[in-house]
Amino acid sequence: MEKSLRISRTITCDVLIIGAGGAGLRCAAEVFERRAGARVVAVTKVPHAQKSHTTTAQGGLAAVDPTDPVDKPIFHMFDTWKGSDCSADQNIIQRIVESAWDQIVWLEHRGMHFSRDLDGKLRKRTFGGHTIDFGEASAYRAVFEADRTGKGIMDTLWGETLKGGITFINQAVATELIFDRNRCVGAIVFKLKEGEFLCIAAKATVLATGGSGQVYQITTNCRQNTGDGLALVLKAGLPIMDAEAVQFHPTGIVGPGILASETLRSVGGILRNKDLEPFMEKYAPKMKELAPRDLVARAIETEIREGRGVMNPDYGVEHVWIDLRHLPDHIHDVQIPEVSSFFKKFLNIDPKKELCPIRPSNHYHMGGIPTDENGAVERGPGEIVEGLFAIGECASASFHGFNRLGTNSILELITMGKFAGEKALEYIDDPVSLPKDAGEITFSHFSKFLNAQGKEKIGRIRSELQAMMTEKVGVFRSEQGLIQAMEAIKELQERSERAALSQRSLKMNQELVQRWELDNLLAVSMVIVCSGLHRRESRGGHFREDYPERNDDFHYHTLAYMPISGDVKLGRRPIDMSIFEARGPDYEKFGLIERKY
Amino acid sequence: MYEVTLKIKRYDPDRRKSWIQEYKLKAGRILRFTDLFRKINDELDSTLAWNSSCEHAQCGTCAVKVNGKPLLACELLVENAVQYFGSPVFKIEPITVAPVVRDLVVDLEQAYANVERMQPYIVEPAHKQSQEAPSQIHPHVLERYVEATRCINCFCCATACISSHRTFVGPNAVMASVIRLMDPRDKAWKVRLDRLYDHRGVSRCHTSKACSFVCPKEIDVAHFVALAKEGRFGNVRNR
Ligand SMILES: Cc1cc2nc3c(=O)[nH]c(=O)nc-3n(C[C@H](O)[C@H](O)[C@H](O)COP(=O)(O)OP(=O)(O)OC[C@H]3O[C@@H](n4cnc5c(N)ncnc54)[C@H](O)[C@@H]3O)c2cc1C
Ligand code: SF4
Ligand code: SF4
Repeated sequence: MEKSLRISRTITCDVLIIGAGGAGLRCAAEVFERRAGARVVAVTKVPHAQKSHTTTAQGGLAAVDPTDPVDKPIFHMFDTWKGSDCSADQNIIQRIVESAWDQIVWLEHRGMHFSRDLDGKLRKRTFGGHTIDFGEASAYRAVFEADRTGKGIMDTLWGETLKGGITFINQAVATELIFDRNRCVGAIVFKLKEGEFLCIAAKATVLATGGSGQVYQITTNCRQNTGDGLALVLKAGLPIMDAEAVQFHPTGIVGPGILASETLRSVGGILRNKDLEPFMEKYAPKMKELAPRDLVARAIETEIREGRGVMNPDYGVEHVWIDLRHLPDHIHDVQIPEVSSFFKKFLNIDPKKELCPIRPSNHYHMGGIPTDENGAVERGPGEIVEGLFAIGECASASFHGFNRLGTNSILELITMGKFAGEKALEYIDDPVSLPKDAGEITFSHFSKFLNAQGKEKIGRIRSELQAMMTEKVGVFRSEQGLIQAMEAIKELQERSERAALSQRSLKMNQELVQRWELDNLLAVSMVIVCSGLHRRESRGGHFREDYPERNDDFHYHTLAYMPISGDVKLGRRPIDMSIFEARGPDYEKFGLIERKY
Repeated sequence: MYEVTLKIKRYDPDRRKSWIQEYKLKAGRILRFTDLFRKINDELDSTLAWNSSCEHAQCGTCAVKVNGKPLLACELLVENAVQYFGSPVFKIEPITVAPVVRDLVVDLEQAYANVERMQPYIVEPAHKQSQEAPSQIHPHVLERYVEATRCINCFCCATACISSHRTFVGPNAVMASVIRLMDPRDKAWKVRLDRLYDHRGVSRCHTSKACSFVCPKEIDVAHFVALAKEGRFGNVRNR
């Protein structure tokens, strides 16, 4: 049966936000604040903006309070630079860190329910990697809303944008960016619920589609994080920066992939393999369980690779144990109640009496769509695409370089979101005109999906991709593994062409969308692999067994272009060192320093 | 390993037909119901539509009715379900707060319209929003309503509520309003109270407490609904 696909409606707006998570909605709120009555449309894959992934961020967001007697912005800048393995851009670090507190105040005034101290002021907590006096002591820098900071932000921003008069298009995916020469003029959107294609003309378009965790088998990311935004720009011939920079958290709870926080190790949890041997003694005789995140993650994966892992029969995933049985009751009940409750709720395990299964989990994508300090998307170094912005986890400005510090991500959302909103307004008095062929790319893909013949199954190809990426492009990478991964992706791509859909309806056909997502996952995997292959060194989240040290010949950002599926071209963008170059006080701390803690 | 049977209520919008479909599958003891749905998609029937997002019990997208009880599919483990319901056969239906789009997917947008009606934001700031420091809220004040801010709008309570969805905005929507009535940063009393006590407002509650009983976040929803009925929003009103 041949379906003829068509645009059912064309709508126009001032600003189109693709992805209504924390970043997208902060941007929308800024537009309303500066231009009441602006027409803002926000598209989201989930059934309602509040369901976006930002809602699960727990820990907090970092910001230096100007009334704090000991903390200073320069310390936060230093921590971010050091944490990034000297790969973040210093102009971005400075801009975000210096505006952080104003953004906290903004959220508070708009009703976010921050946790309070006894005086009614915002409470603060410490977080890994955040220090005062350049590493001398832990900084109390993270403000938070209990264990649901991300939800607090989402609720606040949803409320503000609602008040501003935003139009949400829920359960819909942006499938194509529309360009008029060098200007982005909107996007094609597929509405799942109605099974309709919309053409949205916009004076400014903002990509805020979040992470790409579904590339991996074990991830803390939600089901919708299939790297759609990255695939969209690749198809438009634009680059992805530092795609190889992926963060893995050492202790994900096997099964649901929920984070088991660092605290488990700091209160005395012991990692054990299948023979119950406390294996960290071998890898870090002094620090043991308290060694840095990446070292712990590699130790766990080595145990599993060498056959000392345990298989979880229900999920078919190998893991090691974290042993918390020896800890006194008060530690369980007072210091780690949330994590204990996760093991109870999702695995029916009592950590006081039983061993708990954990494995390194994909957590965050530092790499993304390259932008300048306003979130304007770059085609190449210093060359922006008019009318197109990218913010949040899908973007790379770059605030995190090759390794993100905890609590720095949601800070990035609310600052870059604001900057992009400010800048997007500069376009809203410039009319746009749509090219005639808008939608054709989408229709050619979707009709290919709908008409495919063959016995391959989308779910199986996706699982194979995720398992392969975890094994070969996860915590460990090597020349040989990456080359094998590249071949495997090409083969999976071919097989995906032979996956017939079980039904051809367009209305809430989730299989159809999963087929489209599979293409995105394959595209993102391919650029991660090719960028990682090129980078013959180890830096932050990118660890090469064959090149285990950082090599400053690679002191640049990788740009990967893939206008045609499978055909990757690489380029470079210099890393901004403006704080170092300004030679102000303490500038030497911003040189090419070692990331040792 | 368990052998479970899921009897899922399905709906096809193209043919406007609904029916019950039975799926039998083998499942490990700690798989969650969202894992079962995924297994059905991958192994038995890729047309079954269902929703989820974070699968950490923090977004409220995967609410369904299992043997009549509204709950989050991502936190229901097979072994717990068998124990709780006393059988490995489960009847699964969409939640009833909005029209069904397909199978287990409902049009949450329509359900959310009730919450939006109650203005889940600061309508009229009590302080100037341009001032430089955050406002101070004493923890005792916050304590009175902080439980309510944990709500994830999964609509389990609204599904269980014995008052009709057509006439009542629902317990979670009431709670959204109560939060801002107790929050010292908002002073839009009149607008809020007008909506809270209008024909679709809190007077529709029958005080059955079904809402508190089913809330997956264990929020005492009925407590806040009761506060709204009695107009007890704490002493902030005399601020
Ligand atoms: C478990 C967990 C805990 C975390 N804790 C912290 C923490 O404590 N502190 C911290 O700083 N960071 C934390 N992070 C990281 C942080 O939460 C994320 O990086 C951040 O929330 C991403 O926000 P975003 O706005 O970029 O994307 P998201 O919130 O993921 O929003 C993306 C939006 O885009 C939509 N979308 C996606 N694709 C499309 C498409 N094709 N078309 C239309 N819409 C689309 C989605 O539906 C969604 O609305 C945590 C992450 C996880 C997973
Ligand atoms: S009150 Fe509880 S049951 Fe009701 S919507 Fe909120 S979280 Fe869900
Ligand atoms: S107490 Fe009121 S709001 Fe709660 S379920 Fe009963 S009728 Fe509904």
